[in-house]
Amino acid sequence: MNAKSDQDLLLDHNYDGIQEYDNPLPGWWSGLFVGTIVFSVLYLLYHHSGVEGRSIYDEYEREAAEVFEKRFAELGELSPDKETILKYANDPKWLAVGEAVFKANCVSCHGDGGLGNVGPNLTDDYWKNVESVEDIAKVIANGAAGGAMPAWKNRLSHPNQIVLTAAYVASLRGKGGGGGKPPEGREIPPW
Amino acid sequence: MTSTASPATAAPADGDGLDRFSYDDGIVRLFFWATIVWAIVAFAAGLFVAVLLVVPDLTFGLPYLTFGRLRPLHTNAAIFAFAGNALFTAVYYSTQRLAKARMWSDVLSRLHFWGWQLIIVAAALTLPLGITQGKEYAELEWPIDIAIAVVWVGFFGVNFFMTLKHRRERHMYVAIWFYIATIITVAVLHVFNNLVLPVDALKSVPIYAGVQDAFMQWWYGHNAVAFFLTTPFLGLMYYFLPKAAERPVFSYKLSILHFWSLVFIYIWAGPHHLHYTALPQWASALGMVFSVMLWMPSWGGMINGLLTLRGAWHKVADDPVLKFFVTGVTFYGMSTFEGPMLSVRAVNALSHYTDWTIAHVHSGALGWNGMMSFGMLYFLAPRIFQAPLWSKRLATWHFWVATVGLVLYIVPIYVAGLTQGLMWRAFDDMGNLAYGNFVETVKAIIPMWWVRVLGGTLYLTGAVVGLFNLVKTWQQRPSSYEVPVVAAAPLSKDYQDPPPPKPRASAVPEFAKRFDVWLQLAWHRIWERKPLKFSVWVTVAVVVASLFEIIPTFLIRSNVPTIASVRPYTPLELAGRDIYVAEGCYNCHSQMIRPIFSETERYGEYSKPGEFVYDRPFQWGSRRIGPDLAREGGKQSNLWHYVHLLKPQDIDEDSVMPSYAFLAQERIDYRKIAPRVEAAAALGAPYGDELDRAEELARMQAREIVASIVEQGGPDATVLDDGERIPLEETKIVALIAYLQRLGTDLYAQPPEVTARADDTADEEVDR
Repeated sequence: MNAKSDQDLLLDHNYDGIQEYDNPLPGWWSGLFVGTIVFSVLYLLYHHSGVEGRSIYDEYEREAAEVFEKRFAELGELSPDKETILKYANDPKWLAVGEAVFKANCVSCHGDGGLGNVGPNLTDDYWKNVESVEDIAKVIANGAAGGAMPAWKNRLSHPNQIVLTAAYVASLRGKGGGGGKPPEGREIPPW
Repeated sequence: MTSTASPATAAPADGDGLDRFSYDDGIVRLFFWATIVWAIVAFAAGLFVAVLLVVPDLTFGLPYLTFGRLRPLHTNAAIFAFAGNALFTAVYYSTQRLAKARMWSDVLSRLHFWGWQLIIVAAALTLPLGITQGKEYAELEWPIDIAIAVVWVGFFGVNFFMTLKHRRERHMYVAIWFYIATIITVAVLHVFNNLVLPVDALKSVPIYAGVQDAFMQWWYGHNAVAFFLTTPFLGLMYYFLPKAAERPVFSYKLSILHFWSLVFIYIWAGPHHLHYTALPQWASALGMVFSVMLWMPSWGGMINGLLTLRGAWHKVADDPVLKFFVTGVTFYGMSTFEGPMLSVRAVNALSHYTDWTIAHVHSGALGWNGMMSFGMLYFLAPRIFQAPLWSKRLATWHFWVATVGLVLYIVPIYVAGLTQGLMWRAFDDMGNLAYGNFVETVKAIIPMWWVRVLGGTLYLTGAVVGLFNLVKTWQQRPSSYEVPVVAAAPLSKDYQDPPPPKPRASAVPEFAKRFDVWLQLAWHRIWERKPLKFSVWVTVAVVVASLFEIIPTFLIRSNVPTIASVRPYTPLELAGRDIYVAEGCYNCHSQMIRPIFSETERYGEYSKPGEFVYDRPFQWGSRRIGPDLAREGGKQSNLWHYVHLLKPQDIDEDSVMPSYAFLAQERIDYRKIAPRVEAAAALGAPYGDELDRAEELARMQAREIVASIVEQGGPDATVLDDGERIPLEETKIVALIAYLQRLGTDLYAQPPEVTARADDTADEEVDR
């Protein structure tokens, strides 16, 4: 910055030795200030003049619909039966969906890879509330043991997630290498 | 306003019509020492909580050392103890000189000083004990709040305004304007955010609930930044920077414009803290646009600071005081650009709940408030101790260490904020969360947290070096301070304002001429000699702007559509909620799921305004060091919560949450639940049976929870080291679990068949 103080006009103000120049407002400062005001008016008009479809909830619905379309359009509505669950338990592409749900919601109780923690080990042959593979979907949806296993049907955003998570859980069986939490419940036949 | 010098502050005129008096620098010295001492305490507390995040075991299982309890201690110490004492130092030194008058009352000055230090000590004692209102930067409980109001208004405010009344400088300098705005607005904010119903001597319930409480809190919270950390420090800058640079202020016009626009616009900006929350969108949109419009008013201060240094830049190379000031003003400019940027909704969607906010506030607190304060201390030391600064080299060294520390603090924390924010929202190509397990996103930023520890250590080291240098300077003081006698004429009663300016063009219509005259701001010059009128207009500016947002937030019913199935907390849940508040869980866990898809995938259905009508105080939080808890209820088993609270690392070894095993050892005071339920009922919660049988119902619920923990394989009691056996149902952990299991579940509950609020169900807006 150049010292151009001789062009500055000193006011006759003097406060404990502090003086003030009578310099005008910098043009870019005033310009940007007016610019932010114009922006603000336009922003409020755009979002809050009552036009439908511009609220954060509308944006949310669109985003959700888009992801569901991407995820589930080719699947349709899956039914939580044995055949469907076993079909997807062997499909790596769709297992990833179940795995993502499992990671977000289940590992805190069932441990990484379903090896068990507070909740039971899901890799062995011993089960507490499951006798055949479709029971997995029921337990995920409705919970079990008086809330020890929570119900997820209200929490997951799409019913297919329950089926695909059940498929992922079914796929874990036998993958624990014999490790993890000791068995609980009774031994059941293979899926 | 004219003044007849009061005998307490001035010697009789000496025949030449001049008053002879001296400035009270003793009070400046007191605040001076408090500033540097509390600075070190605040930085040390900050360093400790920063270390806790990387070494969670450092609490040694003690309740008093948890992040949740000590983070408020750090923020309160930094804001109210360090920055507070710094601003008082600035006000007491500069006001006397700018008004050419000693402070009106030495007694009030001392009452202010000691009262404020007592408040700080009370904060330092109560916060680690878990005595808190549970609202950020307004944690202190109601008796301390009353003390703050008395000290701020009764001692500080009265003393300041009476000094102005007895001033001998006719016009008030811009620094004084900023002090006026500070004193008035902080009083208004403090009083209205802290309206509570006391339950007992150390516990209160706010009169606001949920959405309204959140609104009031962030109206307060943001304006605490504005009027406690910004306006007084601009006042500080306007006095000390031109003094140190020995240069005139760049532009008086800019001072006027940026002062009024800042004061008027700042007060609206609070709701930008609540984008995408259950606060109505119109309110957060107003908060956003006013924040954007605040950019230039803020930069007006920066420009006036930096351009005042024109022709004095060579001094910056030589003078540590100016180095601190230049860096401080630069960081002010950076933070006040970043603030408006973060207030933009799309940016906020990414930054909110992350470390980005933490980096932003530290660039303000360490960069602006810290640097300006240290610059002032080094400027003052030779003057108030009447001895040369012991070591200029050491002061320069302090500057560089602090600057490097500051950069090492904020840069990694920016990286951490961006990293975590992007991980939270990352989807794989199937639209699945890429990092579904929250802990993964914490683990990723721990290296950055370590670098922050290094940066914080350096900043603290700088302050300790500063204290050493200042003590050494003080040791060189004369055996008794010289007290210079100042002579100044009292304000005469027959002052004439200069003639009004003339329009600068003649061939224009009359209204244009008037407008041109108005633009020349001579009217403002008249205001500057009328402190009362000036203060009234400041009050009008902040109060009117506030009411524009507050009135609709409280009065428009559609802002908070009622949800029929949302019921008040049970007595035990209420007790558990108080534990949640006392432990400061909101410092790490939000309770507000935003309508953003990555968020609902992770946490569940987004939060609705009607879900919070019984939440006093609201606990939406502002930072997710741990996951959101708004829909925690029923997500885990009771046993899981028990195990997790005892030692979170047993659930996930990478968790940074401390152990809350002490909650399984401390007893619930069941007798205190009834008055707590009564307080909630007094504020409108529709309780029936609970009012008569609070304790009995609480005990019943506690037994049920313990029974389920036992059934799931957990214990029914805590056995202490000395063999004492405490039944689990007697311990706080059960109440906390009861509360956690309730969170967010009402949305899916069956509405009660007959309810007092049944008439409200018409405007129910629950979908999905």
